[in-house]
Formats: sequence, C-alpha cells, structure tokens
Amino acid sequence: MKQSIMRKLISLGMLLGLVIAFAGSSRYFLTSGNIISIFRDVSIVGIIGVGLTFVILTGGIDLSTGSMMGLVGMVMANIYQYTLLPIPLMLLAGIAVGIIAGLFNGLIVTRLHVPEFIATLSTMGIFRALTYIIAIKKNGLITSQPLKAVDFVWLGGGVGGFYYVIIVFILMAVAGQIILKYTSFGTNLYAVGSNVKAAKLSGINIEKTRLLAYAAVGFCVSVATIFQTARMQNTTVLIGTGMEFNVIAAVVVGGCALSGGRGDVTGTLIGALFMATLNNGIYKFQISTSYQLIIKGTIIICVVIFDSWYSKRMARITKEQKRSEASV
Amino acid sequence: MNIMLEAKDINKSFSGVKVLKDVHIEIAKGEVHALMGENGAGKSTLIKILTGAYTKDSGSIFWKGKEVEISSLRDCQNLGMACIYQELSVIPVLTVAQNIYLGREPKIGKTGFIDYKKMNRMTQELIDNYEFPLKPTDMAGDLGIGLRQLIEILKGLSCDAELLIMDEPTASLSGKEAEILFRTIETLRDKGVSILYISHRLEEVYRLSDRLTILRDGVNEAVLIKAEIKLQKVIRFMIGKEVDESNGSVKTLTKNTNETALKVENLTSRGKFNDISFEVKKGEILGFGGLIGAGRTELVRCLYGADKYTSGTIYLYGEKHVPGSTKKSIKKGFGFVPEDRRGEGFIPLLSVNKNIAVTNYDLISKKLMAISSKEELAMCLSSIEKIDIRPPDPDKQVGLLSGGNQQKVVIGKWLMRELKVLIVDEPTAGIDVGAKDEIYGLLQALARSGVVIILVSSDLQELLRLSDRILVMRKGRIVKEFSAGTVTQADILEAASGLMEERL
Repeated sequence: MKQSIMRKLISLGMLLGLVIAFAGSSRYFLTSGNIISIFRDVSIVGIIGVGLTFVILTGGIDLSTGSMMGLVGMVMANIYQYTLLPIPLMLLAGIAVGIIAGLFNGLIVTRLHVPEFIATLSTMGIFRALTYIIAIKKNGLITSQPLKAVDFVWLGGGVGGFYYVIIVFILMAVAGQIILKYTSFGTNLYAVGSNVKAAKLSGINIEKTRLLAYAAVGFCVSVATIFQTARMQNTTVLIGTGMEFNVIAAVVVGGCALSGGRGDVTGTLIGALFMATLNNGIYKFQISTSYQLIIKGTIIICVVIFDSWYSKRMARITKEQKRSEASV
Repeated sequence: MNIMLEAKDINKSFSGVKVLKDVHIEIAKGEVHALMGENGAGKSTLIKILTGAYTKDSGSIFWKGKEVEISSLRDCQNLGMACIYQELSVIPVLTVAQNIYLGREPKIGKTGFIDYKKMNRMTQELIDNYEFPLKPTDMAGDLGIGLRQLIEILKGLSCDAELLIMDEPTASLSGKEAEILFRTIETLRDKGVSILYISHRLEEVYRLSDRLTILRDGVNEAVLIKAEIKLQKVIRFMIGKEVDESNGSVKTLTKNTNETALKVENLTSRGKFNDISFEVKKGEILGFGGLIGAGRTELVRCLYGADKYTSGTIYLYGEKHVPGSTKKSIKKGFGFVPEDRRGEGFIPLLSVNKNIAVTNYDLISKKLMAISSKEELAMCLSSIEKIDIRPPDPDKQVGLLSGGNQQKVVIGKWLMRELKVLIVDEPTAGIDVGAKDEIYGLLQALARSGVVIILVSSDLQELLRLSDRILVMRKGRIVKEFSAGTVTQADILEAASGLMEERL
C-alpha cells in the first residue's frame, strides 16, 4: 500500500517539476488557453490509457491501439459516406468495431496462446492494412475523408471552454478506477497479473479476464477515435500512427508494472498528464519532433529503471524488517 | 472413530511403472494424520489423486462414509477439503481479505460492487476465531511467508473446510514461523478440523501427529499411532531394508590422506547458510546430506560463483580463491552440474555439439572471430565417446535426449577441461537406473584421476555409495561429519532431522 502511494507521489512530483520548469521558461505556458489545450491532448491518450491499464495490469500489452484508431475512424467514414444511417448509429458502429478489434486481439492471445507482444504487433499491421483497404479513394488516390455532419462535429467542441472530450475522459477514468477497486473483475485483473497460478487455483477464469481487458481497450480506443475525428472533422489512413507509444508511455510513467499486478487508473491519469505536458512544452520550445521522441524514450527507460530499483529496495527493506522482527 | 476421508486400494501407474500399489489411508475427524515416506515413495502422487489433480487407475475414495469421485480441485473444495500448497498461492498485491475471498467476493445487493465492509468483517471474524496475528486490510505482499501461509489456511477455513491437506508446510518457514504454524494446527485440531500433514521432518511429525501413515515404494508400510511413533521404528519403516552393506544402506568410510585441494573457512551467506568450514582432499568425493532447504544447494552455488556470499574465504590448493564470476571459476578448474537440470543444466534447443562447446570455447582455436567448427566437432565426438551419449549424434537437440543422456551431456562438457573441482547437485534425480550406474562410474573415475567431487544428494543410497566422507547440513549449518567407520542411512537421516541433539 505504502509503496503504491509513494510511487504515485513520485510521478506527481515529476509532473509538478515539469510544470514548474515550463512555467518558468515561458509566460505562455500557464495561460488558461494552453492549460485547456493540454487537457484536451491528455484526454485522447488518457481514454485509451484507461483500457490499456487493465491489459497491462494482467501482465499483457497492446501495441495495436493506434492502428485500431485508424480502422474505427475509417469504418465510420465509410458509413457516413455511403449510408444514410443516423449519426448515433454510426457512432455505435464505430464502438462495435473497436470492441470487435479488441476481442480479436484477446482471442488470439487467450485461445491461440500467441504471446501478447507478437499478437498485437501483428494486429497493429493488420488493422492498419484494413484501414487502407477500406479507405475511400478518388481516382485511385486516398485522401483524407471529411466527417463534417453538424450533429457529429459538436462532439469536438465543448461547454464553457471545457471540451466534451475532457468530461468524457474524466467520467471514464472514474468508471475505470471504480471497476478496478470495487468489482471482482478489477480484483481478478490484479490477481491474474500478480500470480497467474494462484489466480487459477482460486477459481478465476484467467482467459475470460484477459479477454475482457482487451475488449475494454477496444471500447476505449473507439471512444477516443470518435472525439479525435470530431475535433479534426475528418479522418485519414494515418490517424493514430504512433499513438500506442504515447499510451504505453503514459501508463508506464503512471506506475503500472509491465510485468503486471501493480498500478491503477489514477496513476495512468498522472502519467498521461505528464506526457501531454511534456509534448506541449517541447512543442512550445520548438524542439524538433525527432528530439521529442528521444526525450520521451529516455524518460520511459528512466522510469522503468527507477521502478525496478525501487521495488527491489522496498523488497529488501521489508525483508530486513521481517528478519529483525523474527530475531526479537 | 469418525472417519472423514478414506482412500482404499488406490493404484496408479505412470507409463507402465506402478507408483502406488493398493494404497490405503484414512483420516479421522479432528486428527492430525501425518504421511511420510522417502523421495519417490508416492506421497505427492497420493495427494494429487486426493485433490483431483491426477486420476486414479483403480480404488475408491470415501468422504464421510459415502463414495465420491474427485476429478478436480473444485470437487475437492466442494466436499470440504482444502489444500495448502507448498508453492504459496497468495497474491501479494491484494489484501488479506481480498485474498481469502478471491473469486467469491461478497457484493452489495445486486450492484456487482464488492462489499468491502462485509468482506473485512467476515475476515476479521475468521481471524478472531482462530486468533491469527493478521489484519484484514494488511497487504499480503508486506507479510512474511509464515503469515502468508496463515492466509492460505484461512482461505481454506473460510469455505468451511473440514479437512486441510498441508504439503510440506514448513519447507520455507523460519523456526519462529513454524512454531506459529504448529500452534495453529493444534488449535485447528481442537476445533475439530482434520489435517493431513505431509512432511519428511521427523521431529514435526513426532510433535504434531496423532497417527502416521508411512509409504515406501508406493506401498503402505505402516500406520502408527502416536505412542508408536519412535525414531528407530519410523526410520526402519521408511528405509525398509535390513542394514546390509550389499544394498547400500550402510557403508564403511575410509580416510583420504592426499593433499588438501579445497578449503573453505567460515563461509556465510546471510539467511542461507552460516559459518561453513570444511576441507576436501585431492581425489576425494565429499557428500553433503541434509533435508531440502538445509542450505546445501545455496552453499555449492556460492562455491562455484553462481551466487554471492556475505563473508568467508575459499582456498584452492593453498591459493585464495574468490569466485567473483562463473567464468573465473571455470578458468580455475571448477565445474558445476546444477540441481535443476532442465532449467539450468543445458540449452534444450541446441545440439549436443553446441552444448558441449559452449563452456569450452576458450579451448577451441579461432580465426579472427570465427571458431574452428572442426575442433568443435572433434571435441564433441571425443566427449560422446568418453561418456557414451546415446544416440551418438552430435547434431541431436539435447532437449530431445532422455534424462540420463541429458545429464551425461552436462557432465561431459566438464570432462573436456582440466578439472580440479566438480560440484554435482542431485546428479541422478529423475534418471533411470542404468544411466545412474554409468554416472556413478564417471564420477568415481574422475575422483580417481585426482578431481575433487562435491556431491549434494537427497538420495541416501546414492550419498552412501559415492561419498568418501559425508557432511550433514541442517538449517544452514554443518551439524555432523561422518569421516571414518561405518555409517548407515538411518545415521544420516537422524543427523539431518536434528534428532542427534534431541533424541526421541
């Protein structure tokens, strides 16, 4: 318990340090406009992060989130272009595609016993390829596909300077945290990630738990896609490229152990805020994109090194306490 | 007597080999019933049949007088039996209460949300009932192994288990933790819970059990009541044979007077072993006896440089040797055959050829970076011939060989070097009799050529047969040395169980 709270304080501290550094070096950084823009950026990564937290808690990984976003967006664009379905149904179809894609990942992992990394690396390619195949072509050229219906693009807006996407993100994060802490599904996620054998002996359906976690990622990706496309008012075959990197980074910085069993949605929330702040700051400093990736990559490595050092240290300390207790 | 569980005429074979022959066991209400037997006597197989992990070939199981079929752990739990596993199945990231009610959490009405208040209250009631030193909200991961075991016991009790099966429950406990467990077992018994207690530690069985069933080679050897549980008697039933030189249950040791090859002084690794000092002469086979968890494997791993030790000194032919890395140890003439053959002994997907070469690349000539595959093959062929690996195919994957031949490859790679010390940890575990004899022959021939052999073995017959001298370890210390005169399996067992000090 103590360890997880400490870990959260550490990521909060990192976030705070970053905010102070950027605020000190740019007058523009702390303006309300910029802060809202950071939150808007956080939301897309964060919404997907809620689902990915579930998967990473079980010890899994999902690399296909970015491609999944492309696929969901393009399916919606096709429905918009070629059918007369009302917008709500188009959104439902998008969500269905997301869940199916997530279940597809989950089934490959749980039924065919393909390692998570390889399974989702493959579907990362497959989903992106499907996006190209169903992309709407004009004279053989793929162009960005407008999604300009009035009753759709309002989703990209907001009320009182607060974007809807931020509100939805907060709702989903709260729901995610409640699921983790107050339902047996949540407990099962921790159990599976921490000790599969023990979970099995306790009668938990391991495969179902993991499958549902992947489906949750699919659902979260589809929700994120709806808001992303509503904001851009179009979709392209390239939408979501590299998204998986940002999402995984957010979850890891937020304190989820990649080996499973440790972390929660509040951590991911902090992690997502950290990554978005970093993005924003780097962008405002006009550092080129390549350096951005170097900085982000380095931060991920540092966080993972820190985590493994920290857990070992904590384990040693508790062990020594045990020993001194035992010798008393 | 009110019999809870009775198993009658249980038979079980694995690939034609009978491991249980008409075995019978019965456990009465409110009794601690111990099950003992040497390694391979069939204890675990019997337990696995009772808990539904294996299916029996024939025989019947009765629960409270009614015949039952147990084909899964669920069946076993539904009847009211719970198994406390040797490998702990507690989940460290969850609280005590979450662990106990994992998979069957109480819910708030029909909302699907866990009722933590109720769950913690139910857990507290359980804890109070048995007076365990636990809190429902403690994180399991912050607790010691002993307390984690109590969680598991509570988990069993929370489903109203009337029979607890404990498989070597003290294997990883400290003395103090074991004491808490013993008291718990006594409390449980007083409350009418039956316990089937599997152990190879005589002193525990003596202390706890009301009755004792002894298995030997898959057959019921004896059922003893408390008054009959006497050291000599138990050992005689477990070993089964009359004391006789010819069957390896007794040996006359002879003193080796060569120069000292390896000397260890006050070697300590905190929490694993303490203050170990011994000497080994050139060409001597030194056997280490003791129970599992006595610290033997940890000790030899440190000697080889696979693990680090806290303090102490090692001398090799008078020269101080600090085994900083396995590479350094190998250069100095050490060889190591690990206990976990499959996990650490060889590389299953590589060929015999590569497996033998992999520790010996420093002996094979190279052109630039490229090794001479001709020499590599020659080395492999010579070792195949030396140790008679079958089939004699250098390209065969080692993972596909039989256990005996796999072990020969592991030993064979060391024969290519100029060895000074060969450490072998359980060299013939899971190996057929023929290959066993060949491996014994190899080790004895090596010793004759002047190599020091350090043997760790839980197989008493093997220990007696090979060793020139035997050190017995217990709880991380050397408690007894057998260096001259005759020694029997019973002597070693007595020393290993700590009964030398406190005779029954």
